[in-house]
Amino acid sequence: MEPIVTVSGLWKIFGKKVDAARELAAEGADREQIQAETDCLVAVRDVTFDVHAGETFVVMGLSGSGKSTLVRCVSRLIEPTFGHMEVCGTILADASDTALRELRRSKMAMVFQHFGLFPHRRVVDNVAYGLEVQGVARDERHERAREVLTTVGLDGWGDHYPQQLSGGMQQRVGLARALAVEPEVLFFDEPFSALDPLIRRDMQDELVTLQIELQRTIVFITHDFAEALRLADRIAIMRDGAFTQVGTPLEILTQPADDYVRAFTQDAPIAKVLPACSLMRPVGDVALEESWPRTTETATLESALPFLLSEHRPVVVCNADGDPLGLLHQDDVAAVLEQNLR
Amino acid sequence: MSQTVAAEPGASAGAPAVRRRSPFAVGLAAAAVALVIVGFVASVDAFPESWNLGLADPIDRTRRWLINNQTSHWLYTVLLNPLTDLADAGIRQLEAILRWFPWYVYPVFCGLGLWRVRGRVAGALGLCGVVLIGMTDLWQQGFATLALMGVAVFLSLLAGIPLGIAAWRNDRFAGVLRPTLDAMQTMPGFVYLIPFVLLFGIGRVPALIATVIFALPPVVRLTDVGLRNVPGPMVEASEMFGATDRQTLRLVRIPAARPAILAGTNQTTMLAMSMVVIAAFIGSGGLGQDVLRAMRDIDVGEASEAGIAIVIMAIILDRFTRGIATLGERGRGPRTNAHADGSLRAADTVAIRWIAAATALVALVGGIVGHNRFPEWLQWHYAPYINDITAWARDNLYDIGNSGIGTGPLSDFITVYMVTPLRELLSSGIPWPAMIGLGVLGGLLARGVTLGLGIGVALFLIGWLGMWELSMDTLAQTLVAVAVTLAIAVPLGIQASHSDRFQKLIDPVLDFLQTIPSFVLLVPVITLFHVGRIPGIIASVVYALPGAVHYTDLGLRRVPAEVHEAATSFGATRWQRLRRVELPLAAPELMVAVNQMIMLVLAMVVIAGLVGGGGLGLETVNALRRSDAVGRGFEAGIAIVLLAGILDRLTRGVADRLRPPAAA
Repeated sequence: MEPIVTVSGLWKIFGKKVDAARELAAEGADREQIQAETDCLVAVRDVTFDVHAGETFVVMGLSGSGKSTLVRCVSRLIEPTFGHMEVCGTILADASDTALRELRRSKMAMVFQHFGLFPHRRVVDNVAYGLEVQGVARDERHERAREVLTTVGLDGWGDHYPQQLSGGMQQRVGLARALAVEPEVLFFDEPFSALDPLIRRDMQDELVTLQIELQRTIVFITHDFAEALRLADRIAIMRDGAFTQVGTPLEILTQPADDYVRAFTQDAPIAKVLPACSLMRPVGDVALEESWPRTTETATLESALPFLLSEHRPVVVCNADGDPLGLLHQDDVAAVLEQNLR
Repeated sequence: MSQTVAAEPGASAGAPAVRRRSPFAVGLAAAAVALVIVGFVASVDAFPESWNLGLADPIDRTRRWLINNQTSHWLYTVLLNPLTDLADAGIRQLEAILRWFPWYVYPVFCGLGLWRVRGRVAGALGLCGVVLIGMTDLWQQGFATLALMGVAVFLSLLAGIPLGIAAWRNDRFAGVLRPTLDAMQTMPGFVYLIPFVLLFGIGRVPALIATVIFALPPVVRLTDVGLRNVPGPMVEASEMFGATDRQTLRLVRIPAARPAILAGTNQTTMLAMSMVVIAAFIGSGGLGQDVLRAMRDIDVGEASEAGIAIVIMAIILDRFTRGIATLGERGRGPRTNAHADGSLRAADTVAIRWIAAATALVALVGGIVGHNRFPEWLQWHYAPYINDITAWARDNLYDIGNSGIGTGPLSDFITVYMVTPLRELLSSGIPWPAMIGLGVLGGLLARGVTLGLGIGVALFLIGWLGMWELSMDTLAQTLVAVAVTLAIAVPLGIQASHSDRFQKLIDPVLDFLQTIPSFVLLVPVITLFHVGRIPGIIASVVYALPGAVHYTDLGLRRVPAEVHEAATSFGATRWQRLRRVELPLAAPELMVAVNQMIMLVLAMVVIAGLVGGGGLGLETVNALRRSDAVGRGFEAGIAIVLLAGILDRLTRGVADRLRPPAAA
């Protein structure tokens, strides 16, 4: 599969002596040492990754790990110091202002942590902003905006001002605004971290549902490990500006690269966040029996646990239409849970 | 407090402490101390008259040359006269348009407008206010003032908003512009008139230019600040959607900065109003002229009628421009507050629209028919009653029942025990070199070498201009007024910060006082205190009071609730808490209040030259009255600017010193 977003050797160094700082970093010096010697802050440190079409790539890191800087470099909201970035076949480093603008208008969109909504514009005008900037006529862009508002469940709220909406609703507006321009790549910069836990959970579920339907390429930034597990096709764990591990949620959980990553996995409520499909084996030639319990691909492991614990039969994972996708075996689940408890 | 810091430089490892220990600072401090000692030992008191810059003569010569060449020199024929004519034509045109409409349009529209932005009561009061202006036969003068103001505000905005945008775009330009605006805002409005009188003589055009420049700073500053404070995520979001810089400015930044720009417009309008009134001194005409003439004749009744007309106009303009600033926000507030203000019901909006439409229709017909004069049968003057009250007050309040209580004894008390001793102390008690030395030391302690040197140079310049004695007179009046203001304002502010009810009670009063243009405040004061230094001081106190109370209240209210609770939980009494926790924490804010107060008081003390305040103000007033005194007035003007600069920087330096160290 052709990657939509390609990043290789990306560095962002704040300060003047960037070359010296990079050399020190290459020698293995940590942030404090580099800061003490060169007065430079290495925010992103030699990061390389690809994101494929329709994939959800989650970058997870604690505050100060450089994840927000990374997503801003990839979208060139800030200039990276070194590195190569490609989005939808356009090499960003050489892109002129016009080319970059064109790319942003047609191919990318971002959802922001504190929503970044325009308080002086009605919800519908917020959603239509990307289209307005492109020069789409008023009636057309309003029609499109109202369609998208319906998609995110805000039908009828278009004439309100953003401040009149609750936090969760405001972020739906932010999401609608990004979807309205039909971008190929969606960047999410900690979109749900400002919301309270219950609303956050709802928004995550909704994003999962939307993604099954829309199949966009997503780069998602978060500091919440559970959120990463719930949403990701692949997760990158970021620490002090560098990726410490990149892998599927299952890989991260079962083979943490170091103690830092392991620390996260130990607190993760695996059964609650890992989707059933992540542990399933292909059906192969096994003859499915009517009496075997069934679950859906978006359901979590937790939904299958009662069956797995009480009966010695595999659980059939089905898609929304009821077609079997794979089988969940007791041994596999037990192995993962055991790893988690260790 | 600053001395403690000086004694333990290790305690605050910041740059100021390091700078103060530099050999240059030590040298300067030593020189200053030497000046103080030499001054006292040699006991020289008056600044030597032979040391005089002699600025007045060349200025007067220039003035004469300008008068003689006004019709012939290219500077006038090619540049200034056409400009003058254009500006004058603009004002005339606007005045003609304003006069064309039938008189009843004005009360109705002001009433409706205030109803729309402030509710029914405000609307009714607005309507009555405008009618009152007409009743006292000030209709025509009102238009003259309004037209001059209108053109001035228009030009200020026309120049100010682009300047603000430029300052936001270009940090270097902002770096030059901001200190310039600071300096402009420390200069009393009165002083602005002098250079333009020099260049243009008296008339409406110099008044217009002075007003435009005087009113410019707020809108420039707030446009700049507003644009800078547009939240980063909003701008980032706009950029992320591929907006061009121009699109982001037009669609996001300017709309987001709109409240700030409108607040700037409000302040600019109010400054223009106060300046247009003061500009009566140089023949701006209008209501200010009536106040001025009546005050010269000590006809308090007449002065009151014109003064009240000005206040009515100022309040309507203020509420109106403020209302526009908040109107747009009303529908957009958080859900819970959407209709919380309750000032406007849906039915009201409909009613306002219908009445406005009907009036507009009638206005068109009326304008053509010519109902443009305020009808004579509606006229009613209350000047005689005011004069009766004044006479009664003069006879009865001056010394109530020979008890030693009254305005006379109060005025004597302030003069004998405060102003005169302080003036004598400053002008002859402390020898001038010692005064300079003390100024330098003050500057060193408050901020550092630059300020110390600056104050030294500025004080010497004042002497060199031949303005030493007059400046000390003005300084003494200013200090007394500040002391009196503080004595009244701080307790009021403390009370307001402790009691929401009290705050609600005094807020409208302070708000009202703040809207009155400085010059008009002199009217009621001379009713009670005649002429001399005291009315100027009293007017200054009244003028500076609202701001001072407000800042005290604000400073104390900013003390975090946890700190409050912590103090109480340790069993502090209310007084202990106030003295040991709240006041020290609010100290920087209080110092800002003092700074504001000094600036306002100084501006007023200067204007009080008109009612016998003496000092620098008198020289300035003379310069504006008689063309042969322009040179001397110019010198006095510079002295005022220097004095204002010294006091401003000094108090701001102290305010910064009082701020707790920022987090590392």
